[in-house]
Amino acid sequence: MFYIRYLGAELRRRPGRTALTALGLAVGVSLVVIVGALAAGLDDAQDEVLEPLTGVGTDLSVTRPISVPDGDTTASGDPFGQLSPREQRQLDRENEGHDAAFNYSELGEPGERFSEESLLTTSLSVPSREVTEIRELAGVSDASGSLTMRALLVEGEVPAGEVVDPHGPGAGIEFSQRTVSGVDVEKPDLAPVKPDQVTAGDYFADRRSNARGEAVVDLALARQDGIEVGDDVSVSGTDFEVVGFATAPLGGDASEFYIELGRLQALADREGRVNRIQVRATSSDEVAGLAKRIESRIGGAEVVTAADLADRVGGSLADAENLSSKLGTALAIVALLAAFLIATLLTLSSVQKRTRELGTLKALGWRQRLVVRQVAGESLVQGALGGLVGAAIGLAGAAVIDAIGPTLEASVEQARAGVGPFGQGNVASGSTDVVLGATVDPALLALAVVLAIVGGLLAGAAGGWRAARLRPAEALRSTE
Amino acid sequence: MSEVSEITPSYELNAASRSYGDGSVRVVALDALDITIRRGELVAVFGPSGSGKTTLLQLLGALDRPSGGSVQFEGQPLERLGDSALAELRLRGIGFIFQQFNLIPTLNAVENVEAALAPLEMSRLERREAAAMHLEAVGLAARTSHLPNQLSGGEQQRVAVARALARSPRVVLADEPTGNLDSANGEMVMELLARLHRELEITLVLVTHDEWIAERADRILRLADGRLVNDSTESLAEEVVK
Repeated sequence: MFYIRYLGAELRRRPGRTALTALGLAVGVSLVVIVGALAAGLDDAQDEVLEPLTGVGTDLSVTRPISVPDGDTTASGDPFGQLSPREQRQLDRENEGHDAAFNYSELGEPGERFSEESLLTTSLSVPSREVTEIRELAGVSDASGSLTMRALLVEGEVPAGEVVDPHGPGAGIEFSQRTVSGVDVEKPDLAPVKPDQVTAGDYFADRRSNARGEAVVDLALARQDGIEVGDDVSVSGTDFEVVGFATAPLGGDASEFYIELGRLQALADREGRVNRIQVRATSSDEVAGLAKRIESRIGGAEVVTAADLADRVGGSLADAENLSSKLGTALAIVALLAAFLIATLLTLSSVQKRTRELGTLKALGWRQRLVVRQVAGESLVQGALGGLVGAAIGLAGAAVIDAIGPTLEASVEQARAGVGPFGQGNVASGSTDVVLGATVDPALLALAVVLAIVGGLLAGAAGGWRAARLRPAEALRSTE
Repeated sequence: MSEVSEITPSYELNAASRSYGDGSVRVVALDALDITIRRGELVAVFGPSGSGKTTLLQLLGALDRPSGGSVQFEGQPLERLGDSALAELRLRGIGFIFQQFNLIPTLNAVENVEAALAPLEMSRLERREAAAMHLEAVGLAARTSHLPNQLSGGEQQRVAVARALARSPRVVLADEPTGNLDSANGEMVMELLARLHRELEITLVLVTHDEWIAERADRILRLADGRLVNDSTESLAEEVVK
């Protein structure tokens, strides 16, 4: 058709104008592609950090914590003094039979060595049948219970006379504590420690009866204390054979010792009770609703989802992710609008220069809509060129970012670790580096190209209409 | 002089005027012209710069609308037609030749002629053949693929003539067709126009400030300050003598 040949001739024989208009749109498109790729790369990096944290299949974690304030803010020196009477009664009932306060005179003769270990917690337990009932809720794929305790070890010589301050110098009494978690070895995917966290040795035997004498130890503690696979470790006076070492994911919950659940329940006098329930939902859409249902079901329950765990992670990765989510979309929109504005201004300027030419076409009998169609068609092709060039630049930019592979840091501060002197457990703190990639989304790429084409079309239609609405006599008087 | 048809005239202007602006800045380009142009006439619109010649041509070509009065083309009042109807009229009935050629710079010679045929229902081959034929008629058969910037002034104006005649119009309006040409090329273009006027029996109205061009016309309309001061079939020399 003549119009297509005319269009081609215009674009071919005015290469500077064609290139400039297409380049304006290309810049906008490439920015959209690169910003989108960076945002996707940040999401991927965050997923990489969080995946071991959230674990395979754990969507919610249910506990009944009592928050004990850090430090002594009471006149008596008792960190629990700030709890309400009800909370103190709950705590006393929870830790009945295990106490951090000793009557040292009952431990032996003065000067005699003693060693006492108490298993304590500030997380209230629930009957194990709650696990079964939660498992039967709609939207739940599976659930498993665990028990985490603080093992407080008090060692020293029985003092002569009354002990005013067992922690003071000269008292001759040493305190140490470790966290111990009881694991349902028959549901490893929902356990506080999972098989893929074992970095040396083995995971527990897959049957409870076979796992009763086994322990998995935190790798950092093992290195610190020189513990090796095959050694025995003691929990509340009972020995367990170390079968493997485990590393908690950054920001994940970490205990120092893991033993079979039934053994810990017995040692802590909590038979048939758990203080954490790990839940897997049937789909991610169910998580929010399940969290609410479980909270209403178990009084005082705190339900932590994978999204909540993600909030523990900070560092430059989190900062970049925040920036991307707040500014990324805005930046992409601004880039596209700027590109469209540039294309429109260039098109209007170009059409202005062709006013007499377009007036001549009208004098030759071209109707207004034909003139507009001609100019809009030229701009549409420029938009397509700009879109394709922009896509190529965007892809190249993403490839460069991939090749450079900048690293970001994901960290969990020590301050976030633990929830008090006898808290539920530790949070694995520290930092890890993650490589930032740039993942181009084909749908976003296609959308950006389409928007460039539409932008070109609209710019051309606007310019063409503006020129075509002039009377031919006016247009022919143009000196350009 | 050529023979003139007695049927409906090509143009009839009744008190046609055109002004621009209003109030104290109002400019009257044409002031109440009464003119009849018969079919087949070769009319020269003669006058100094600013006399309203081009404005008159634009009204005749339906490129502009009169501010007052009436302009009829073959009995049809142009001021009553909409933009689409005027475009159709220009497409089917009127050809234009401009002083500055007004060729489309990105199209070659044959494509420039095709531009005049593009809105018509023609196949690509028909359009190309018609354009080539008209270029041959003006002596440019060997220059069909040349861009305007590869043609001389005279050649460009001949392309414009071919374009103006491509649709076999009943009227051709030429605004200073030799104004941008040297005397040799100007003579050549005028010879061409005169020949085509005779052969095709079209109404040809050409605007000029050159006396030698006006002398070639059957009729001279002399304008001054937007008014028709003389409408004569006599030569300019005979006018002066009188």
